[in-house]
Amino acid sequence: MGSQTPTFLAASLTKTFGTLRAVDDLSMSIAPGEIYGLVGPSGAGKTTLIRMLSGLTKPTEGTAHLLGAPMPDGRRTVEHRFGYMPQERAVYRDLTVAENLLFFGRIYGMSRARISERTGELLELMRLQGHGQQRADRLSGGEKQRLSLACTLLHEPDALLLDEPTIGLDPALRREFWDHFHELNRRGRTILLSTHYLQEAEWCGRVGLIQRGRLIVEGTPAELRREAEQRSGRERPDMEEVFLILTGSAVAGGMS
Amino acid sequence: MKAYRILAVTERVLRQLWHDRRVLVLMLLLPAVAMLLFGYSFSGDITDVRVAFIDEDNTDLTESILESLQEDDAFEVTVLDSVDDPERLLLESGYQAVIRIPDKFTSLYYAHFAMGVATSAQGTIDLTLDESDPQIATTIKMGLADAAMDLGEGGPVEIDTRELYGVEVRFIDSFAPAIMGLVVALISTVLTLLSIVREKVDGTFSRIWVSPTRRAEFILGYVIAFGLIALVQSLVVLTIGKLVFDIVINGSIAWAFACVILFAVGSVGLGTLLSALAQTESQAIVFFPLVILPSVLLSGMMWPIQAIPRLLRPLSYLVPLTYSNRLLRAVMVKGLAPWQEPLGFAGVLVFVVLTILLASVVLRQSAGERE
Repeated sequence: MGSQTPTFLAASLTKTFGTLRAVDDLSMSIAPGEIYGLVGPSGAGKTTLIRMLSGLTKPTEGTAHLLGAPMPDGRRTVEHRFGYMPQERAVYRDLTVAENLLFFGRIYGMSRARISERTGELLELMRLQGHGQQRADRLSGGEKQRLSLACTLLHEPDALLLDEPTIGLDPALRREFWDHFHELNRRGRTILLSTHYLQEAEWCGRVGLIQRGRLIVEGTPAELRREAEQRSGRERPDMEEVFLILTGSAVAGGMS
Repeated sequence: MKAYRILAVTERVLRQLWHDRRVLVLMLLLPAVAMLLFGYSFSGDITDVRVAFIDEDNTDLTESILESLQEDDAFEVTVLDSVDDPERLLLESGYQAVIRIPDKFTSLYYAHFAMGVATSAQGTIDLTLDESDPQIATTIKMGLADAAMDLGEGGPVEIDTRELYGVEVRFIDSFAPAIMGLVVALISTVLTLLSIVREKVDGTFSRIWVSPTRRAEFILGYVIAFGLIALVQSLVVLTIGKLVFDIVINGSIAWAFACVILFAVGSVGLGTLLSALAQTESQAIVFFPLVILPSVLLSGMMWPIQAIPRLLRPLSYLVPLTYSNRLLRAVMVKGLAPWQEPLGFAGVLVFVVLTILLASVVLRQSAGERE
């Protein structure tokens, strides 16, 4: 990491909704080229954290930086360079697959020719060939999610903020999504994603465990496993056990 | 602000409508159906009212009263020889009125003039009237008064009518501008509201606000889309108005379109504004009657504002369509330029500025609690 500007940076980041502290004094730094997974139960504050980093939500306290720009105030300087995939599939149900990509490309200032070129590439990558003229509401859940990811990748962003990108996908499709993530990562993209599938933590470069708005522990999957082994004395715990050990089993009951 | 982003939003909204054929059909059918339905059922011309006419005097003068009643489309006159009990005749025969001209009517009529001053000796027509429908009763009274006034040289008073707009303006002529405003307001407000609520529900809003899109670009994109739709809807109303009802258009069509588009802009603003109050599509539907009812009831579209109880009248001036009606009627029926109807023009302008400004505040909030 060294002197490089972190792609995502949170410093004492806090967001309160009324009395709820959705994100509570959270600090983290993600360097260019990382795949970082936010793991934690629903309601842990993962979405709020990602929205603050994307500039959609204004922090109550602390600061969020994306590609070196303070968010949300500095977002104008970086908005072309990052892609955000909301938890909702966030595509227009009543537009075709190609029309969705056309619209999201146009608002990023891409030419129609470039969009149609990228559409071809992405439909192939997402195995949606032949679906270009199909309306989004006629797609299956998995196809819709692939379209959503395609919309996020369309303008070739350097930094990706993906909120539960694999939620609701069957295991095979989840694997396939992760293959995409690793491929994007190899091509130099920095990825911050959230998931509540503990298995996926294994596939991240680094993992942060989030609970009640706080970052409980972070490290590579191997580091987390070692930590869990030391605390519990168990040998080679799987990720689910690691999470239970590190967070305390009582609160981990809500995990899927 | 970038034109290509504005047009990207416009194109997207139009493509969405294009895919939703039901909405598309509704958009084009609504102005047509509204025009035909209201045009026919509220044409305002009462015809074929059955009246019985009994002439006990039988002079040229009384003959001319009968002729003038017979020429009036409003009446279907049946001439009877005599009547004993006019009230029973009314109840039993289905006539709306019994008009009886008594013996010596003509001589009393002329005697009255000969005296030169007011006198009790005066020609009297007996009118027995079924007042169960006040509108029909009024028509009969006015028709008979017209007939009596129309007695020619000897008539008591002559009213010389000059038609300000060159022709007689019928209900439908002043109704077409109101239908244009109503249909454009409904479609623009309701579809903008639904569309933006769906953006919130589906999460596409988040994608837009992390992109380089500005709020002004977003609103302008919607405004252009619904401005175009308003234009098409106005054409439908005018075409049907002209072809089916042969409506009078005294003014400039270009000004009329300009005013309709202006009104559509305000309606898009209103739809955006209301979207802040709804989190789901079913919540949004609650607002539909809130938009429709005051527009239809209070705007002076169906009946003049003067016919609305004084207590409620201030509410009429809170309904945007009230101003649009004044403006469009001034432009289309009176043939004025928009600024020659200051109240209507100013009202529509205030509506546009106010809703667009507030819409932009609302979008700022929907875009996340950034501020």
